[in-house]
Amino acid sequence: MKATVRRWAGPAGLTRLVCLAAVVTAVGLLPRLSGRDPALTVLRGRSAEQEATPEALAAVRAELGLDAGPLSLLGNWALGLLRGDLGTSWVSGTDVLPSVISGLQVSLGLMAAAFGVAVLLAGALVAPVLVRGRGSAGAFAAMLAAVPEFLLATVALLVCGVWLGLLPTSGWQGPQYMVLPAVALGVPAGGLLGRLVADALPAVLNERWVELWRGAGVSGARVSAAALRRVLPPLLPQFGMAAVGLTGGAVAVETVFAVPGIGRTALGAAKSQDLPLLQGSVLALLALGLVTGVLAALVRRRLLGPALRDAALTLPPARPVRPHPAVPVALAAVLLTAVGWGLLRDPYAVDTTARLRTPSWAYPLGTDGLGRDVLARLGHGAASTIGTAAAVCVAGLVLALALGFLPSVASGASDIANALPPVIAGILVAAVVGPGTGGAALAVALLSWPALAAHAAALVQEVRASTFLIAARAVGASPWWILTRHVLPSVAGPVTRHAILRLPGIALALASLGFLGLGAQPPTPEWGLLLDESRAYVERAPWAALAPAVALALLAGLAVSTAAYAEGRAGRRAAGARAVKKEASVGV
Amino acid sequence: MSPNQPLLDVRDLVVRYGRVTAVDHVSFTLDAGETLALNGPSGCGKSSTVTAVLQLRRPDAGEVRFEGRELTRLTERELRPVRPRMQPVFQDPYGSLSPRLRIRDAVAEPLRVQGRWNAAGPARVAELLDRVGLDPAYGDRFPYELSGGQCQRAGIARALASEPRLLVLDEPVSALDPSVRAGVLNLLADLQDEMALAYLFICHDRAVVRHFADRSIELRDGRATEVTPAGRPRSPGAAPR
Repeated sequence: MKATVRRWAGPAGLTRLVCLAAVVTAVGLLPRLSGRDPALTVLRGRSAEQEATPEALAAVRAELGLDAGPLSLLGNWALGLLRGDLGTSWVSGTDVLPSVISGLQVSLGLMAAAFGVAVLLAGALVAPVLVRGRGSAGAFAAMLAAVPEFLLATVALLVCGVWLGLLPTSGWQGPQYMVLPAVALGVPAGGLLGRLVADALPAVLNERWVELWRGAGVSGARVSAAALRRVLPPLLPQFGMAAVGLTGGAVAVETVFAVPGIGRTALGAAKSQDLPLLQGSVLALLALGLVTGVLAALVRRRLLGPALRDAALTLPPARPVRPHPAVPVALAAVLLTAVGWGLLRDPYAVDTTARLRTPSWAYPLGTDGLGRDVLARLGHGAASTIGTAAAVCVAGLVLALALGFLPSVASGASDIANALPPVIAGILVAAVVGPGTGGAALAVALLSWPALAAHAAALVQEVRASTFLIAARAVGASPWWILTRHVLPSVAGPVTRHAILRLPGIALALASLGFLGLGAQPPTPEWGLLLDESRAYVERAPWAALAPAVALALLAGLAVSTAAYAEGRAGRRAAGARAVKKEASVGV
Repeated sequence: MSPNQPLLDVRDLVVRYGRVTAVDHVSFTLDAGETLALNGPSGCGKSSTVTAVLQLRRPDAGEVRFEGRELTRLTERELRPVRPRMQPVFQDPYGSLSPRLRIRDAVAEPLRVQGRWNAAGPARVAELLDRVGLDPAYGDRFPYELSGGQCQRAGIARALASEPRLLVLDEPVSALDPSVRAGVLNLLADLQDEMALAYLFICHDRAVVRHFADRSIELRDGRATEVTPAGRPRSPGAAPR
């Protein structure tokens, strides 16, 4: 309890509040931060004929209040917010609040359905573990959790909507319209929930009380229920994060299925520079994320009851399940072969006589709508997607190592970063600097460094408390010697490994921004953008969509299997170290 | 330093953590080649006393005079040349050696830090390892590849590399198996005879204290309640119970 109070009142809580205030201020100042002149956008939006004279533009600026200073702009916006006035749309001239509310209603319905799908899927993943009492559905569930929503949505659209023609794929007119979006949104969340529970259960089922209950003749169903109840509270914060992730996924899924929800509204507003509508919808998305986070915390309190006071109900360490190294190696080999082959070909050569060709020897993966070689675009796309991701990783690593010495900053910032899905950060950044590779990289970098910094901070704390550091001081080592010979080397290795592990995930986030038109711009071959472009002619040339989809799925698989492999190794090493420690007191 | 001045002279040492006074006006002296035991229940201020003596945490009041120099008023930079002459040996044999350094490099670190590393360095490290009863071949290993007793010997070798006059032994054998303790204690006794080292020795085990220490201080709630002069004559080689 005391620890919780300290957590919220201490420096970490302060940084958390500062970060939240910074995000809200950034939203409020969007019209000011935006580098480009919105007056022209507004004028174009209202009437195509009117001449864009300096007088007309000045009039628009005065009308929108853009000529006021940043403080009064922020003040007016905040005052309006308190009165429930979100301003008027620059494009349509209507009030923002009603559009936000109707979008929110649609999105809430979609998220509720997606949550249902997620719970069903998680149940299906967890059931075998409960029945057999051991083993875990780890790899498969992790794979499902890693597949990005935009990819799943595109594949669902392709398979169910287009090939099988079973379900409507566009719009929002009845319950049947909800099925595909809910599946696309719910499956990754369900995979995550299922994986967390399935990973934690075997160790819990090994606890002494289970044996005792079984021995006393308690039915298997009751033991299972009790084990689930035992597992859930420590996992709930992560469930809250999964719910936050849903708000980011909603943007992609609503865009693919043309669902008029809040996510699509936000994306459309960002693209048309309709800043008041963007401010309103981003605030609604943030509020949605915060409310789900608070709900998760409340449920946790309720489930824990008085145990919360001791904060003692932690999960036993899960036994690491190490996949065979052949899995990540094979995935990487397939990806590298395709990319290497593609890199040798020209991604920009347009051949209008060879449009939408089926795969052949001349075009191993076919051609796209402009007759460009899909394999070449895939190969060069990997270079730009993964190259950008690597740059983001390096930047995050450097920042993390520098800020690792300020643990409170790192933990507060990482909490906010967890509450902000990359897509929403991407929308905000794109609204400020315009869509582009740089903006997308900035958005993902802003969200990816805090986790690394928190890891670095934990390691720095651990090393600083270690006896061997005191021993180094005692022989007369200078602070510089201790920093460069002991602290940095102990921290840099593990944090670098962590950064490398995050690389595929960062590449997927960049691809999702590209898919939404917030990242790399055409004709750049970027994987997310490739998938987006191919959607237009997916009925006639499904292979053009399939190639980037498979590549992204392989990347997701690589992310999961490498992480699991590394975790397994680390787990084994830790177990080995513990065994050594135990023997320490036993003999020479 | 005049010949009749003690090596270490601690007067009215006070250490506070917030409102708690962990060490309350403790005074003692220690001569070269002598062993002073600090004992008492856990939480009585033993470890706080020695970290304050070593100036690893500055005491809140009192004097620590080492080789005739008053340490509490020195700056961190002025202390650095003094530090090598008073070396700690810790309780946890694994924690006191960096897991990332080979034994050889851990023992060589004091030489490098103190600017004494030269062509004879490797031979000096091998000699130190040999002196504490470790085959110099162990120098290639990492701490987790050694047993607890071997690690503690490596820690002692590392402390000796600084050529100290005073070793502060913070329960050096309590994490070790009883069969290993005797060996390490005998090693410490031999080293003391050979190099006239002074030992400030924290120990729980009264049998060890009686056997090993010349004098002992009983600490209780931060106060030195009892100073027993000259315990039993030491018989090196005899294992304590």
